[in-house]
Amino acid sequence: MPEPENKPKTRSKSAPASDWSDRSVELSALLSRAGLGDRASFATLYERTSAHLLGVVLRIQRDRALAEDILQEVYVNVWRAAASFDAAQSQPLTWLTSVARNRAIDSLRRAHVQPQLQTNLSASSDESEETNVYDAVADEAPGPLELLSRASDARALGTCMENLTAQQRQSVALAFFDGLSHSEVADAMREPLGTVKSWVRRALMSLKSCLEAAVQRDANRSSASP
Amino acid sequence: MDYGQPNLADRLAAEYVTGMLRGPARRRFEKLLPAHPGLRGAVRAWQDRLMPLTAEITPQRPSPAVWQRIEAKIQGAVPMPEPWWRRLAFWRGFSAIGTAVAVGLALLVVSPGPVQPPIVVVLSAAAPPPGSPEGVVAPASFIASISPDGRAMVTKPLVNVSMEAGRSLELWSLPPQGAPRSLGLIAPDKATVVQRGKVLEGTTGFAVSLEPAGGSPTGAPTGPILYVGKLL
Repeated sequence: MPEPENKPKTRSKSAPASDWSDRSVELSALLSRAGLGDRASFATLYERTSAHLLGVVLRIQRDRALAEDILQEVYVNVWRAAASFDAAQSQPLTWLTSVARNRAIDSLRRAHVQPQLQTNLSASSDESEETNVYDAVADEAPGPLELLSRASDARALGTCMENLTAQQRQSVALAFFDGLSHSEVADAMREPLGTVKSWVRRALMSLKSCLEAAVQRDANRSSASP
Repeated sequence: MDYGQPNLADRLAAEYVTGMLRGPARRRFEKLLPAHPGLRGAVRAWQDRLMPLTAEITPQRPSPAVWQRIEAKIQGAVPMPEPWWRRLAFWRGFSAIGTAVAVGLALLVVSPGPVQPPIVVVLSAAAPPPGSPEGVVAPASFIASISPDGRAMVTKPLVNVSMEAGRSLELWSLPPQGAPRSLGLIAPDKATVVQRGKVLEGTTGFAVSLEPAGGSPTGAPTGPILYVGKLL
């Protein structure tokens, strides 16, 4: 079986390949075997995915001990539910990341650990102001906005992200990466709750229609080629 | 609130996946998911859209203690442990049915002079855990009947299995260790004769997984395991 880490980056014939989907074939096989009780496959799955999941969890739950507890819970549950994973319905990394994020968000509710935020945000529509706004927050770790733009580089998602206004992007980034609630985002951005809610709502709807159009284009392209 | 309304469902799903739906609202939403395929579909779509964004988050290697704790917790815990044994015992209660089917199959498998009865394995539904894909397949069970020499095998559904178009059921033999071996596709609605040579050799049980039409593209099961049965 090819090791994705060592594999040279190749493009699949039909759709533009991202690492995300490249990895999913191998991870699906590992998950399915784990579902049949194969511990070695489960150990490999852990090896390949745990650092990613801990990274995701730590953005939301910043207490490392708690984050590692969450990670443990996630994998124990994955082991139990592995047989129910359906590769035709979702990508394994998407599934695993969703499970981990959910746990992390739930842990915020329990522990009331608030992410440390700088509140010197002025929500201006000036695009240039968005740069490095959160650098102080995340120490040397990339801020949510930087993550958005980096993630965007890797995928067609980038174009869609660019369609958002600066405030829309900020609000989505704070919510998604750092697990802030509507009111926490509003506090962080010093904007009324209602305003933030409508930014987020419009941002998500815009992303959705843009991504759906991109998927449609991909589908047309791959059906056009033999 | 009318959760069947697509716009509302989609908005709630988006807020749930971004993590903005909080507190009691979040818990209420999670409780609704099992009963609302539309909501589940919307959640899955948003997860597909947004989760790849996390690819850029710097990975953080967990301390070795985490894996040790996981290993300790799953020690002895086989996935789907309860259904496997309990339901087998349950099905043994229906031995009359089993025998009738087995005799029927025996005639089918080894036509001339079937003195030795075939080996019968009951494949019972692996429990669908919460959050499993929407009702693709109705709970049902298969009987697998194997000729004593292990050269021929017949599977037969005990109940009608309803399946989405474009999906297939694939039969696997489970070795004591390592990856399952494919025994090919089986029909959800009628008996299938499986001929793969020595199906009993190095086999501790069988499993049926849900796969894309034509079977697993990878040679390993990719779909959920629907039915399992152990060779006694």
